[in-house]
Amino acid sequence: MALPKRIIKETERLVAEPVPGIQAIPHDDNLRYFDVSIHGPAQSPYEGGVFKLELFLPEDYPMTPPKIRFLTKIYHPNIDRLGRICLDVLKANWSPALQIRTILLSIQALLGAPNPDDPLANDVAQRWKEDEPGAIATAREWTQTHAAP
Amino acid sequence: MEDTNPHPPKRRRFFAVSSPSPPPEASDPILPSTPLRELHGYAANIDPSSDTTPFAEQDEDTTLEESPEDQFGMGMETAEIKDLSLRFDATMLETVVGELSADVLKRLDDISGGNIERAINMYLDGSWKEAKPSEPKKPGKQSPFDSMLGQNGKRKSSAVTGQSSTAQTPVSDEETAQRLDRMPYERYIGSFGAEGYAVRSGSNLLSHGEEVIIGRQQPQQVQKTVRRGKGRPVTVVSQAASKRKDIVVRFSNSKGEEIGRLPHETAQFVSTLLDQKICSFKAICVYAPEPLRSNETIFLQLKCYMLRQTFAPRALRLTETNRSTGLFETKETEEEKALRLRQTSLVKLFNEIRLFPTSAGQDSKAKRDGLLQVAEMAEEKEKEEAAKGNNTPAKDEEEPQEGKELEQDQLDQLYKKAQTFDFNSPEAEPAETFTMDLRKYQKQALHWMLNKERDKKNEGQEESMHPLWEEYTWPIKDENDKELPTVENQEKFYVNPYSGDLSLKFPVQEQNCLGGILADEMGLGKTIEMLSLIHSNRNEPEAASGTDSKPFNLPRLPKSSDVVEPAPYTTLVVAPMSLLSQWASEAEAASKTGTLKTTIYYGSDKSLDLRAQCSAANAHNAPNLIITSYGVVLSEFTQIANTASGSRATSGGLFSVQFFRIILDEAHNIKNRQSKTAKACYELDALHRWVLTGTPIVNRLEDLFSLVRFLRVEPWSNFAYWRTFITVPFESKDFLRALDVVQTVLEPLVMRRTKDMRQPDGTPLVYLPPKTILIEEIELSKAERAVYDFVYNFVKRSFADNMEAGSVMKSYTTIFAQILRLRQSCCHPTLVRKKEVVADEVEAEAAEAEAKGLTDNMDLQALIDKFTSQENDGAEVNNYGAHVLQQIKEEAQNECPICSDEEIQEMTVTACYHMACKKCLLEVIDHAKRNGNQPRCFNCREPINEKELYEVIKHDPDVAIGGLSGFRENVPEFSLRRIAANKSSAKIDALITNLKRLRRESPGMKSVVFSQFTSFINLIEPALTRERIQFVRFDGGMSQQQRSVVLSKFKAHTGGLVLLISLKAGGVGLNLTEAKRVFMMDPWWSFAVEAQAIDRIHRMGQTDEVIVHRFIVKGSVEERMVHKIQERKKFIASSLGMMSAEEKRAQRIEDIKDLLS
Repeated sequence: MALPKRIIKETERLVAEPVPGIQAIPHDDNLRYFDVSIHGPAQSPYEGGVFKLELFLPEDYPMTPPKIRFLTKIYHPNIDRLGRICLDVLKANWSPALQIRTILLSIQALLGAPNPDDPLANDVAQRWKEDEPGAIATAREWTQTHAAP
Repeated sequence: MEDTNPHPPKRRRFFAVSSPSPPPEASDPILPSTPLRELHGYAANIDPSSDTTPFAEQDEDTTLEESPEDQFGMGMETAEIKDLSLRFDATMLETVVGELSADVLKRLDDISGGNIERAINMYLDGSWKEAKPSEPKKPGKQSPFDSMLGQNGKRKSSAVTGQSSTAQTPVSDEETAQRLDRMPYERYIGSFGAEGYAVRSGSNLLSHGEEVIIGRQQPQQVQKTVRRGKGRPVTVVSQAASKRKDIVVRFSNSKGEEIGRLPHETAQFVSTLLDQKICSFKAICVYAPEPLRSNETIFLQLKCYMLRQTFAPRALRLTETNRSTGLFETKETEEEKALRLRQTSLVKLFNEIRLFPTSAGQDSKAKRDGLLQVAEMAEEKEKEEAAKGNNTPAKDEEEPQEGKELEQDQLDQLYKKAQTFDFNSPEAEPAETFTMDLRKYQKQALHWMLNKERDKKNEGQEESMHPLWEEYTWPIKDENDKELPTVENQEKFYVNPYSGDLSLKFPVQEQNCLGGILADEMGLGKTIEMLSLIHSNRNEPEAASGTDSKPFNLPRLPKSSDVVEPAPYTTLVVAPMSLLSQWASEAEAASKTGTLKTTIYYGSDKSLDLRAQCSAANAHNAPNLIITSYGVVLSEFTQIANTASGSRATSGGLFSVQFFRIILDEAHNIKNRQSKTAKACYELDALHRWVLTGTPIVNRLEDLFSLVRFLRVEPWSNFAYWRTFITVPFESKDFLRALDVVQTVLEPLVMRRTKDMRQPDGTPLVYLPPKTILIEEIELSKAERAVYDFVYNFVKRSFADNMEAGSVMKSYTTIFAQILRLRQSCCHPTLVRKKEVVADEVEAEAAEAEAKGLTDNMDLQALIDKFTSQENDGAEVNNYGAHVLQQIKEEAQNECPICSDEEIQEMTVTACYHMACKKCLLEVIDHAKRNGNQPRCFNCREPINEKELYEVIKHDPDVAIGGLSGFRENVPEFSLRRIAANKSSAKIDALITNLKRLRRESPGMKSVVFSQFTSFINLIEPALTRERIQFVRFDGGMSQQQRSVVLSKFKAHTGGLVLLISLKAGGVGLNLTEAKRVFMMDPWWSFAVEAQAIDRIHRMGQTDEVIVHRFIVKGSVEERMVHKIQERKKFIASSLGMMSAEEKRAQRIEDIKDLLS
């Protein structure tokens, strides 16, 4: 099946006008499958880390949101051990007007502002609520070990 | 029934009554007994040796039977001569030249070959005195006017061709005569053993080595015209006798005492051979018991001799009956039966004596077996019918239904042979009055057609043996290895096992039809080729004022009822109604002004009296081209047939004149030989007969027969003949042979080139721009789907019920109507309830017959209401503030936020003023609904719904709206319209989307929209109006006048225009090359029909790529029609609307089964 014009355009633009700290490169053999890397935002426990993600555009994209997952281990209340992300725009709040670029920006923002009230990794969220400095330290530690560039 | 008759051919028996006193030669005892020799005795340079005694008479057995034989022969002769002198109408001749003596008459007849016109001319110019006899003209053209015109045409052409063809004929005639003269009265061909049985007892009746006389039983009925000799049993048996199947063959000893009979299986063929005077038999007793008792076996050795008269040409036989067919079918079975007996007997004899052809088209063993099998089948059939109490003509009526359909590979094979077109064949330049430029292959076609009309043999082609014939060598030794006398230059003889014809002359495959089948594939320019012929071979009135006009001044034939007036300057074109104006305009375009007077003979324009108009006397004003429809031909034919006299002349119509040339366009219209239209067309009279068709064989071999019958190609135009050689072998699975024969019929007759043929240099014959066919899958809306599903389940249940009850055929119309509704529901739900006329007559009938079921169904009504409820409120909404429109205008520059298209397609705004492509917005809503979510705006997440979407209508000032131009100023640049109002049906939406894109991307491009439902077209119209898309409409309900107005408007219009056209009315013939886009709204049962429609646009003259969109509803019967049924009949153009109703039904039931499975 031919690649929709929209995907082609998005890909072109990701290359032409890259977002600082974010990189998304499609696979040669499957242009719907992207290797993504996101730099941890400054002043966050993830600063200095480079996180790898995989992104897949399903058949009915943009009617349905892209499927996206962290490959790098990350200690985050809204990201579980499998790398799955709890983000409203990836679910019910998806709109076809959103794009790969906007979604990745949202994820980057999520790293800067963890939301333990809407947890995906319950243990992490729990710790975040009870012992925030400890949790942040662990997050930093994980970033050092797993997300070193 | 000629062949059971004692007389050789070349005379018509029924003239005997009116014959004048027999010429004195009749009693001349010196003349040998065979009339043929005698006939040539009049030739000036007769071979003197032919009067010496034939060698058979010097041969070993000159005993008892010799003198009776002579007497018998003399008796024959008397009758013969009477007949011979009257091949033409002596009375008529005498009214022209004055009274003549009997032998002058006779002589004239001989030299003129029975052609009265020739006879008159020769008598008047005195050339008859030294002229040599010539063969009679081919019977198919024996009508005096035919031959006159033929003469006329030939004279003209021979001036060009240097006499080549005319000079040849008499020579070969003479050859035949001499050859026949050299042949002894009878000639040995072989012998075989037989075990006869005795019918009497006694001793010393028969002994070894004794001569035995073989003879037939005395026939019971009285022979009136023939005096019989005594002694030898008479070998003449009339039809009546052979009908009784009396096959007893007796033998007697040299004393004349009857001894016994031949066994049944031998007698079977020996009797026929004796009756039909093909052979004589002499037998020797090999062993007979002594004393002999009744029923004891006697061993005989039978020697078989071919009679000379057998070899005399018998060509008249078949054709005479054919001619007498007249306006109505006559039974052909008597003739057919004699033919069958003759051919099987010969085959059996040759098998017995182990005589095999030295050269034949194919394996002769298989051939013989096949022939015998055919005969058996025919016999069985006859028996069956006798059992049923049917008489034979009735059987004839049933036959066409039996014709089996051709498999595609067979059809391919057939066409491949007919298509071996020689790219180096000569070209001809059209006459100067023809203004168009012909392509190379068209000039070649012209050359070929001119040749056919001038009856020239194709030069460069070596004479080949007629494929139906076999070559045999005369045996040079007899059964005892004794040398037989040979005849100089006569080592071979030729047998046509199909007809039982025998000949001493090499049978050349010849062609004597002055026309043919132009079967170039659609779009190669058959019409233009034909028009070039009309220009290039015509009679000029100026020339006619000289000698050429002489024939036309001859007094008319006495049989007044059938006088047809020659129209030597007029070509008649018969075409489907929708093509009449196209023919007229193309004829005009191809001719220099004033060089081709063209008349459409149709409807009220029919007032002219063709007899007066087209006669030779009116040469300077006679129309050169008359264009009429099949309907007119049929109605005039019925009119004439219904009058008591059946007189052609009084009508003053098409049947009262003999045209110079007739052209049947789209000739598959007459493919059914039983149809009245076909019969009517056969009766049209013309010198040259042509048919144009892209599909000479639609799906069965009989289709071709009808064309051949129209062309009057002898002998194939005789159905009995056709049946024996083609239908029956084909039905008995001997495909190869049947197809072989068909090929030989086709080859000289047909010129066929296809679009994909390549010239030797590799360039295509015709350059056509590419054509792309896209299947566009249509998703039904929910409401539409609900209607569809309802109808589908209803139909499926009803069909299953009928299948179970075995009443499918009975309730055919109901089922069919239901399927029709189902298909319509794919197009537009409201069609389901409409009773309007639909395209197909069958469908219309079916729809009307639909008594119960869908139309009154309340549940269905509810579903449809649900659908239509979305449809109300179609008003444009223009109460938005100017700022909104301004915003819209600005945003219109943006790309679609959903699909990223640079320009938003069919810009649509939500109630919250967010804009995207219509398709994208609808998809968003649809996607949400499918997942059970509330659809929200992609931008602000406000809830949205379909009913509150507004399409932005941009009024392009460049696009002129026909008739609306004054109104344009009041139209704002933008306006909004509720999308729901536009939601007519998924298919219409898709069409509109496509048309709008087309308008945007290629402004000014014309397109054609085909649908088979005129009621659907009715619904498309308002949608186009709404979108301000200009259109014109062409359908079957329009008069000829209206149609041509529409077509010329479509052609002449500058700028974009849509032609809405019904598949049935516009599928054939039209030339719509102005359009570049085609939309097929609904699939037909076979794609061939759609393809033909597409070829209206993608044909010669098309300059651009053609893109075809076929709209197919996903997950519906349409899909199955396309993928299953169309696939299945990909190659059989069986649904061109020419099958019989019965066939159609059976096939449809099969299709329906597929649809609902």
